[in-house]
Amino acid sequence: MRKIIFLFIALATVTGGCKKYLDVNKDPNNTLDVQEDLILAPLETDVSDFIHAGFSPGQGPIILQYFGQVIAPNQLNPGLWSYQMFNTDVNGDWDNFYVVCLNNMKILHDKGVKDNKPNYTAIADILSAFTLGTATDFWGDVPYSQGFKGSGNFTPAYDKQEDIYKTVQDLLNEAIGLIGQNDPIKPSGADYIYQGGMGQWLKLAYTLKARYFMHLTKAPGHTASVQADSALAALANGMQADGDDFKFPYAGSAGGEDPWYYAFGQVSTAVLCSTFIDSLQARNDPRLSKMAKPTVSGGIYKGRTIGTTLGSLDDYSYPTDYYAGADAYNYIVNYSEAQFLAAEATLIRSGAAAAEPIYQAAIANHMKKLGVGQTDIDAYIATRGTLSAGNALQRIMEEKSIANFLNEENFTDWRRTGFPSLTKVQGGLSDIPRRLLYPESEILTNPQPQQAAVLTDRVWWDAQ
Amino acid sequence: MRKVKLLLLSMLVFCCAHVMGQSRTITGKVVDSAGHPLPGASVRVKSTSKGVSTSSDGSFSLSVYNGAVLSISAVGYAAQEISVGSKDFFEIRLSAGARALEEVVVTALGVKREKRNLTFSSQEVKGDELVRAKEPSIVNAMAGKVSGVQITSSSGTPGASSRIVIRGNSSPTSENQALFVVDGVPINNDETGNISGGANGAGVSRIVDIDPAIIENVNVLKGAAATALYGSAGARGVVIITTKAGGIDRKPVISLSSDLSFENPIFPKRQWKYGQGTGGVFYDGGTKKTSMSWGPLMDTLKINGVKAPTYDPYSSFFRTGLTTNSTASISGGGNNSGYYMSYSYLDQKGIVPKNELTRHSLFFKYNARVGQKLNTIFQIGYSNSVQDRLPEGQSNGPLFVLLVQPISWNPYPILNPDGSQRLYRFSRNPPLWDLDNVKNVSQVNRFIPVFTANYTPTSWLTVTERVGADIYIEQDKYTESPSPAISLKGQILDQNINFRQFNHDLIISAVKDFGKFHVNLLAGNNLFSTYNQYVNIKGVGITVDNFNNVSATSTISATEAHYQTRKVGFYSQANIEYNRCLVLSLTGRYDGSSVLASNKQFYPYGSAAASFIFSELLPDQLRSAISFAKVRFSYATVGNDVIGAYSLQTPFVNQYRNGNPYPFQGQSGFLLSNILGNPTLQNERLNEMEGGLEAKFLDNRIGFEGSYFYRKTNHGIIPGVSISSATGYNGTAVNTASIQNKGIELLFTATPVKTRDISWDITINWTRIRNKVLALYPGLNQLGRVIVGQPFNVFYGPRYQRDSATGQLLIGANGMPLVASDQGVVGDPNPDWLAGVTNNIRYKRLSLSFFFDYKKGGDVANEVEGLAFFYGTAKVTENRQPFVVKGISEVDGKPNKVVVNAQAYYTTRQYESSIQDGTYLKLRNVTLTYDIQPSLLGKTPIKAASLAVSGRNLWIYAPHFTGGDPEAGSYGSGNGVQGIYSFSTPTSRSFNVTLRCSF
Repeated sequence: MRKIIFLFIALATVTGGCKKYLDVNKDPNNTLDVQEDLILAPLETDVSDFIHAGFSPGQGPIILQYFGQVIAPNQLNPGLWSYQMFNTDVNGDWDNFYVVCLNNMKILHDKGVKDNKPNYTAIADILSAFTLGTATDFWGDVPYSQGFKGSGNFTPAYDKQEDIYKTVQDLLNEAIGLIGQNDPIKPSGADYIYQGGMGQWLKLAYTLKARYFMHLTKAPGHTASVQADSALAALANGMQADGDDFKFPYAGSAGGEDPWYYAFGQVSTAVLCSTFIDSLQARNDPRLSKMAKPTVSGGIYKGRTIGTTLGSLDDYSYPTDYYAGADAYNYIVNYSEAQFLAAEATLIRSGAAAAEPIYQAAIANHMKKLGVGQTDIDAYIATRGTLSAGNALQRIMEEKSIANFLNEENFTDWRRTGFPSLTKVQGGLSDIPRRLLYPESEILTNPQPQQAAVLTDRVWWDAQ
Repeated sequence: MRKVKLLLLSMLVFCCAHVMGQSRTITGKVVDSAGHPLPGASVRVKSTSKGVSTSSDGSFSLSVYNGAVLSISAVGYAAQEISVGSKDFFEIRLSAGARALEEVVVTALGVKREKRNLTFSSQEVKGDELVRAKEPSIVNAMAGKVSGVQITSSSGTPGASSRIVIRGNSSPTSENQALFVVDGVPINNDETGNISGGANGAGVSRIVDIDPAIIENVNVLKGAAATALYGSAGARGVVIITTKAGGIDRKPVISLSSDLSFENPIFPKRQWKYGQGTGGVFYDGGTKKTSMSWGPLMDTLKINGVKAPTYDPYSSFFRTGLTTNSTASISGGGNNSGYYMSYSYLDQKGIVPKNELTRHSLFFKYNARVGQKLNTIFQIGYSNSVQDRLPEGQSNGPLFVLLVQPISWNPYPILNPDGSQRLYRFSRNPPLWDLDNVKNVSQVNRFIPVFTANYTPTSWLTVTERVGADIYIEQDKYTESPSPAISLKGQILDQNINFRQFNHDLIISAVKDFGKFHVNLLAGNNLFSTYNQYVNIKGVGITVDNFNNVSATSTISATEAHYQTRKVGFYSQANIEYNRCLVLSLTGRYDGSSVLASNKQFYPYGSAAASFIFSELLPDQLRSAISFAKVRFSYATVGNDVIGAYSLQTPFVNQYRNGNPYPFQGQSGFLLSNILGNPTLQNERLNEMEGGLEAKFLDNRIGFEGSYFYRKTNHGIIPGVSISSATGYNGTAVNTASIQNKGIELLFTATPVKTRDISWDITINWTRIRNKVLALYPGLNQLGRVIVGQPFNVFYGPRYQRDSATGQLLIGANGMPLVASDQGVVGDPNPDWLAGVTNNIRYKRLSLSFFFDYKKGGDVANEVEGLAFFYGTAKVTENRQPFVVKGISEVDGKPNKVVVNAQAYYTTRQYESSIQDGTYLKLRNVTLTYDIQPSLLGKTPIKAASLAVSGRNLWIYAPHFTGGDPEAGSYGSGNGVQGIYSFSTPTSRSFNVTLRCSF
């Protein structure tokens, strides 16, 4: 009996220690706070990889290159390239935009405010503006003002695209104001792109302002001339040289390659599309050899035509290492774009003759960047350099799309202007899409009326 | 004193006994083989309700009629039957032995109980039967044998994981598999052996570290009422493994057994007529490459005027698998102790070259009696398991190419003259190249020590102390040579896992008779902790050939992670039996778990159950026909904490770029976790109602057991339920899931023939489970393959449009089926019902056993077929004439008449068309055993010997399935990947010879 009492006492002792025994749920693997630089570095990589290049688990930006007939996978129809898209196809992208990028940009923004580091807040703003602007051009109405509240709001309503555009400009204005404070605390190595060059961040902010003003040239309630004026005013403070390019440097080490290197990897079967190669060939563009590789089998330049039978990968051209090498720069926003924005805005405000020198300078600058000789530049400008009221918009947009190779802006420009003109691919399941579908993950978790959109629906600014 | 005792006893006897005919009183004593008295042994008059338990000195007294037969049994001892005759005093000697286990089963916490009195459903599988299955893993060995249990193997790679789910899936994304308990101590059965970013495919279920040969028997506790005492982990059902033991006063017995098996793959069906190419045009794979086999007929194909040869892709790659398994054991015992030792070595060389599983397994058990009141058992198991395999599934593994390789392609040589990989198509590695250049090795060293002490201060009280651990160290390595064909620069991944689990139980139990009441009370405490450490080193970009060390790579990164969880539980149980015909069982448990919110860590639960053995009340005339009959009912509610450690907070997480952890280009990187922590997380709850009927007829020649259960998960935990990414997070942990399972389990046993020379036993089990997801999260109806209102894990994906009136396919103007613009449910992998039939026939020294199992329904997503349509290798593509797709034309609403080209049709098949009905009938096992006549052994030291020949998977009938084995699930035992047949190692048909002898 005494032994039993002893056992019960032992049991009672064990019971008393229970609460303490269970207190082992403190995470040894992750931290609850980090410095700004540690957030900034992955955000820049993610903007380059995911938002601009559709790196796995995303693919939205690559889908747009199919729609624009720049990239063609060596696959049979139907597929994304022939406009067979499922909502699930962009689940990864939506996650990248909202969870990986925008939420953490907001956290970086707030940390910058809290720790009184205005330059970090400004960079967060600029990256947010770029990411949000790209999102709204993909999908139209998107969540922002009601978002990022965690359990505070599980089903954020979507903002109208018109309001998103205001938000984008507000974010850029706030950034411009903050950089203007000339605070001495700024990033260095964690800022892979500008190494803390706040002057370049400022130019990027102005260039983006111009880009998003020009997106609204045919938007309801907006006039092209007012948008052009605003763009030109912003561009005065925008990028001034290729050195201002917002481009991510990939060292090309194993595993650290440029995302386009993977996009054109053997397994993806992606090659250049015949529409793209043929347009350069038709214009005798000296950039062809600088941008595309000859085929392995024939040594010629040949793209794949979407909707045809399967070919051999050796029979198609790939981008050159300048754009898709392991250690290539990923060109996200270019000085060339600023130049063509100026040319288009000038065309709207002052006509073809005024736009012509800006247009020619833009072509010449991009050719020099690629290492085209002066003779070839001159010869090309001699045939393509003249702008008339009839051809100006087409030529500006065609040339801009070459200078903006692999850039999601080209799909927006095509929607705005119809150039470079495209015809529906063979076996296309609909007309050429004018947007992306909303992701299935969002439809399941946050049903909103906008999600009924189909590929041929237009976003708000894409008025007829 | 003695007189008083006798008086009391005779009064007790008088109370119980229905006096039948001429009765008299007999007395006696029950002792064990050493002559020690056995208190609490049951002495009964056979076929009546009369009986007593022996007192503390083993004595008993009982009133019997002339000619009665006494049935004597005690927990842990072989039962005996004795005719009363004319003797008045009996000394009955019981020996510990296997037959005891037919009467007594091990239930929760190692408590042994008589099966007849159980208030819940359990089913036993004998160790011999497990060994006979010739499977390295006991899970596979149990397949089809137990009602209510679904076992799914994965790939045919040696050691590949398998899944065991009891009474249906109850959690949307968390663990659904049963708990394994070895001699009272829970052990780990994680699927390991995979490294993130390494070889795709099934890992190893860690139960494979247990050698089936050391198992005495396995008892499966199915319902929550049976497992409530196990606490949270037992909510999904428990597989109780009892290992073999020596015995007191037993002569040493040495047993040797040796197995040899040959395995041949069961291939998916394919076409053997057409060569590589497209549109009937030949591609030679060298100068013209394509992945397709839509080329010319091989019969008519000539190259340079010579008939083109055909190459069998399978024979160039696969081999006959060879398994050897040798076991040696010694058991015996002295005056106060017993021992059992076993060593086995398994070597399974797979049907894919370089695939291999080896396992050294050592087991040692020693039980000692210290004085009269203390029994102790110490045991330790050690195993060393090594698995070599290749990537599987739709990945850069060899089978992704091989199973759809054109028959016109000669796979040799593997390399081109310039040293580059030689293949008929782009973007893949040659399968034979993979054999030498891709390697995934997983090695586990594991210890399972258990110490048990039973202290019996008085005859009615026992205190049990049990301490056990499960400790393993796993070393995984994945290496992949640089491959220009798939644009990879080569990588080496190194992973070390350090796992420890400790379990401690202190149990006090009391057994006492009060008149016709037999009362069994139990109270106890459990402490349980797990710790997992991962250290990963990754090297990308191989710079030195043939040197598989991470130093030979250009980018090296490392990560570490640790996880610790702890649980504490207090439990009690009361079993009250009245007059051997009414049993009431109550359990209660109070658990605390470290992973839940700090104010929600503790939660109570319990069960109530009753059984009524109504055969005890039947008149005697009926008793000869109905030997036993019982009804039982139970209700249980069990709390569960199925979530990993550290799910309450939202931390910053180290980032990865392209699968490699930061630092990236010299910079560290952290972003906020994509999973929003839930600081209010509490336990989920599983409620279950069960009713059952058990009966035995014609002196136990025919037996029946049936159960119906209804179980429902409430407040189900989903660790990462999808939430709108617009919240800033894509998942959070919630307590909102609800899943129901309803089922019927039936078991029939019969012995149609039983003579001295011939016997025939049949066991049939049948299971039907209906499963439905009731809720996930308010406003959320789908989480991957888990959809509200649907059965668990349906197939969801691209599908065809259907005519609303007839349900037929809607066909477009071009004659092709129209694809729906949205995805939908296209199949259900849950079977309609399952059945297994075991036959054991013995004629003198020859015995034959064969086992069929049947699965009705249950769809399989046949990814091999899905791609084989496209590549033109599917069997169905042997017919390449243009044809009309059956369906309704969208043009005129009439049956379609437009002819389509076969290649155009098959190259555009959608996901829906790869879903196949997985119904099968399998002759899973046939074994013929001959026990060599002792006279033949003569004066050799061999006491007994037997020779067995067996075959596994000898015949499979799967009328709707075009793959090899419809049972295989290529991607392992995880929740979301069930029912997928993909490019994994085919399972095998095997032949085995076993020689056993004992000395």
